[in-house]
Amino acid sequence: MGYIVAIPLLPTIAFALLAPMSGRVRNKAVWVSVAAVIIALALSLVAFVQVWPGGHEGEAVYHSSAVFASIGTMDLGVGVLLDPVSAVMLVVVTLVGACVQVYSIGYMHRDARIGWYYAVLSLFTAAMLVLVLADNFLQLYMAWEVMGLCSYLLIGFWHEQVAPRKASLKAFLTTRVGDVGFALGLAVMYATAGSFDFSVVLHDFQWAPAAATTVSLLLLFGAMGKSAQVPLHVWLPDAMAGPTPASALIHAATMVAAGVFLVARALPIFEASGVALTVTMLVGVITALAGGMLAAVQHDIKKVLAYSTISQLGYMFVALGAGGIVAGFYHLVTHAFFKSLLFLGAGVIIHAAHTQDMREMGGLARKMPVTTVTFTIGSLALAGIFPFSGFWSKDEILTVLWHGEHYVVFALALAAAFVTAVYVARLWFRVFTGPEQSELKEAHIEMLVPMGVLAAISAVIGFGSPYFAQFLGHEGEWPAAPIALTSTAVAGLGLALGWWAYGRRTKVLNTRPLKQRAGFVYGALTMKLYFDITYDFFIVRGYGLLADALAVFDTTVVDGIVNGAGAVWRSGAHVGALIDRYVIDGAVNGTATLVRAAGARVRRIQVGRIQAYQGLMVGAIVLLMLWLVVKGA
Amino acid sequence: MLLTAIIFLPLVGAIVTALMPKDRGSVARWIAAGVTAADLALVVFLALRFDVAQGMQFAEKIAWVPQFGISYHLGVDGISITMLFLSALLSLIAVVASWKMETKPTAYFAMLLLLEVGMNGVFVALDFVLFYVFWELVLVPMYFLIGTWGGPRREYASIKFFLYTLFGSVFMLVGIIALYLQTGTFDISAMADLGLPATFQWWVFAAFFLGFAVKVPVFPLHTWLPDAHVEAPTAASVLLAGIMLKMGTYGFIRIALPILPNAANQWAPFITALAAISIVYGAALAFAQTDLKKLVAYSSVSHMGFVMLGIASGTAEGLNGAVAVMFSHGVVTGMLFLIVGMVYERTHTRMIQDVSGLSNQVPVAGGLLAFASFASLGLPGLSGFVGEFLTLLGAWKSSVPAAWVVIAAIGVLLAAAYTLSMVQRVILGAPSEAVSKISDLTVREVAVLVPLVVLTLTVGLYWNSLLRFTDPVVTRIVAMLAGA
Repeated sequence: MGYIVAIPLLPTIAFALLAPMSGRVRNKAVWVSVAAVIIALALSLVAFVQVWPGGHEGEAVYHSSAVFASIGTMDLGVGVLLDPVSAVMLVVVTLVGACVQVYSIGYMHRDARIGWYYAVLSLFTAAMLVLVLADNFLQLYMAWEVMGLCSYLLIGFWHEQVAPRKASLKAFLTTRVGDVGFALGLAVMYATAGSFDFSVVLHDFQWAPAAATTVSLLLLFGAMGKSAQVPLHVWLPDAMAGPTPASALIHAATMVAAGVFLVARALPIFEASGVALTVTMLVGVITALAGGMLAAVQHDIKKVLAYSTISQLGYMFVALGAGGIVAGFYHLVTHAFFKSLLFLGAGVIIHAAHTQDMREMGGLARKMPVTTVTFTIGSLALAGIFPFSGFWSKDEILTVLWHGEHYVVFALALAAAFVTAVYVARLWFRVFTGPEQSELKEAHIEMLVPMGVLAAISAVIGFGSPYFAQFLGHEGEWPAAPIALTSTAVAGLGLALGWWAYGRRTKVLNTRPLKQRAGFVYGALTMKLYFDITYDFFIVRGYGLLADALAVFDTTVVDGIVNGAGAVWRSGAHVGALIDRYVIDGAVNGTATLVRAAGARVRRIQVGRIQAYQGLMVGAIVLLMLWLVVKGA
Repeated sequence: MLLTAIIFLPLVGAIVTALMPKDRGSVARWIAAGVTAADLALVVFLALRFDVAQGMQFAEKIAWVPQFGISYHLGVDGISITMLFLSALLSLIAVVASWKMETKPTAYFAMLLLLEVGMNGVFVALDFVLFYVFWELVLVPMYFLIGTWGGPRREYASIKFFLYTLFGSVFMLVGIIALYLQTGTFDISAMADLGLPATFQWWVFAAFFLGFAVKVPVFPLHTWLPDAHVEAPTAASVLLAGIMLKMGTYGFIRIALPILPNAANQWAPFITALAAISIVYGAALAFAQTDLKKLVAYSSVSHMGFVMLGIASGTAEGLNGAVAVMFSHGVVTGMLFLIVGMVYERTHTRMIQDVSGLSNQVPVAGGLLAFASFASLGLPGLSGFVGEFLTLLGAWKSSVPAAWVVIAAIGVLLAAAYTLSMVQRVILGAPSEAVSKISDLTVREVAVLVPLVVLTLTVGLYWNSLLRFTDPVVTRIVAMLAGA
């Protein structure tokens, strides 16, 4: 099964080919990238079939590794580990990746740097595949960071404009805050368990609860950065400044889910800790709720989807925190498909409407049938409506919470599901119904086909729910009626409310009284719950001021002491220069004459200092030699 | 004889170029390039024949002043060969990067070659007197390079550099003499792991610490560095940051740790603290700079803090990491200074607010600067990450207080902050007025950078390309520290 290695290698080669090309040649060679990801998809499907029917949890179907660093007796390796989890991830990453790359042919065709765009997409795909195939945490971390680079490059793709430039910096730095935690977690893991390998850290090593808590909380912190969990979520909405298909791949389906993947992989350590699970669940539920509410007040269609992604990722953390690895992982998979579908749809909508502001959209349903149908499927999946995929994975998460007796979290998760349905309806009715506000035209075929593929998957994948659990080596069950009905009712209620507020075009849309009544909450939500403003004021500006203050400190105090000492030395050197002239000059007359002749009048003092030192050094060495001779004799 | 040839071949070149008529600059540069290239070839030949499993190799030992136990003693192990390679490579690059030097070119290339003599010598000398001679020798050409070919404040900067580092050397000299009086020899390799008295070790370590720490430089002894870098010509900056700073940390690894292991353990917490402070302090100051060269200079303070962190950890991870940072910083900071210099030659400004939009106007220069920036901020897959990560691992594993390690780790975030805010302003965006008319890098300039790009990728992707040289040496040093 050596072909597994080719899966991450193909996009790597595509990047290595494209990156050094000149812009013009590269723009014509984007097919290299598309071909690489499509072949990788084919190989991933083969791998998936070979792993099928799975069932042995954690058991690798294929594993090989090579050492890239040896320190003492410790070997650090890079590996390829194919087990049910990575097999699923391979398919998700290459399938969404292929859809996005095909779609981008149409979406980006007029961009002057389309070649560079594809090069970065390829590098990203390669890094993500290395991450999911990792057999150790160090490799995972390294791929993780490279994905961060790609995310940075794609968010800032249109860097001539200010907003993408700022957003890319914000994204890289915010996720790196988490990465400091991740890196420290690796250091603690290494010092405690003596390895990064999954086989050691997750299976052989017996974790003491305290060490497990430290490591897992640090890893969780890293995951929170990457997966945009509160309070490190602030970068993801801004990241929407990048090209929309890149958002679909990186900031919806794959990279942001890497945090969830990390926690899922490291779950045995979290379980050994116990506390860390609870923290994960709390972080998740707060994020699920906050993200959903923030999504409900956005006017930019991409920002709605971005906050929605934050919220759905929170859902996955909740599941993992409750110990529901299958539920959390399943939601990762379904979300990857329906959310990338929604983003691709949003790309078409933005192109058609020439705006991202939903208040200036309307009536797309009549003119853009394919987009409407696919987007509607994605919306219903997101809202959790039977039989679309989101219903099934959300149901599993709720079931895990109920059976784990986390009733408060269960209630909050239901509330988040309700808010989700509200903002889905708000978005849908605003965009697809009502009067047309511009000339609308359906997108090209290469954009519609990927959307169709993703929509088809989102429509039917839910029925695989119990088999998915079995594939991962767990008990698979069909949804139980009470929870399924409850969640459906809640989602239906949310959709109804959304329709009531935004769908009835009989009245002119006016939500102002509602906003006024909910004044404080609405205000807080439009201020993004004050996270950005707080960070900006205290951390960004605070650090800038601190750095400036330190710069002044460095030149006045630290260097001042040095210059002060120099001044003292210089006045001493005058005395030294006198001694020099009358004592040493007398002894070494010829040399001194030469030096004096060479030294210009202005440079006298400085030359004097060097001379004084040389005198001192020569004197010291002469004394030393004398002493040695005396002692030796 | 091979090592002698490697050291003194540039000396021959220096004498020849120095004696040439002043208007023969174009001949002098070809001689300098030929000599440095031949020297690099010799080092590569040496490295190919080097057996990583053995200790000191290619040793040459001739009695020099036998009455005092002074000998002409040379040899290389895995760490010195790493640094020797870097020295030879960067010397060649410095010469080619200075191809257009028009001010007193014969003297200039003579100085670069003389500098290489001292740098090569420091990394292969195994006798204290010899070591000290090479150590001091380095100062002279660097003093003239800054003082003669430097920027507007070159006099202040060169004098400050000279006196500051000499101040440190005096203490080192005291330490050397004390060691001689105690052991009766100047032979560095014979002194390793002798089990010298603990109090004696402590004081001698203090002397060496001052000598080496100025060179590294460690906070608060760093203020000579930004001045020297800003005023120095590009090639001198490359060698100053790439090689001369490493002489300080090399001193710790070659001398202070093996000879004074007991004191090294005692001093470890203090050095760790200074290292962590250097990391975040250097990073914060880099963030505050408006001059590109100053930014890179302060980032050096931060990066060298990681070297000290690894050295103080006394672990295999930390020491391997320390050498990895030394190597990577030499390569990556070399790239940064070179590109900043190339941009400066075209725009005549190094002010960050005047330079923007490089990637649009000059994509090759902008792309390579971005590459070097990401290597510098420690992106995995590029060389900077290797050492940073290993030193953090080592520091955490050692018994130093965890708080300092956390502070050092925050330095990784701060590195991203100052590097990327530079990238935002300089590389991205629309081209500024100063940038809008400049042309992209020439073939010669790209050729100067390509070897550094290749090394950055090689070490970053396959760590053993470097660690296979350093790890055996590190293992021996760690054993000495553990036994003390």
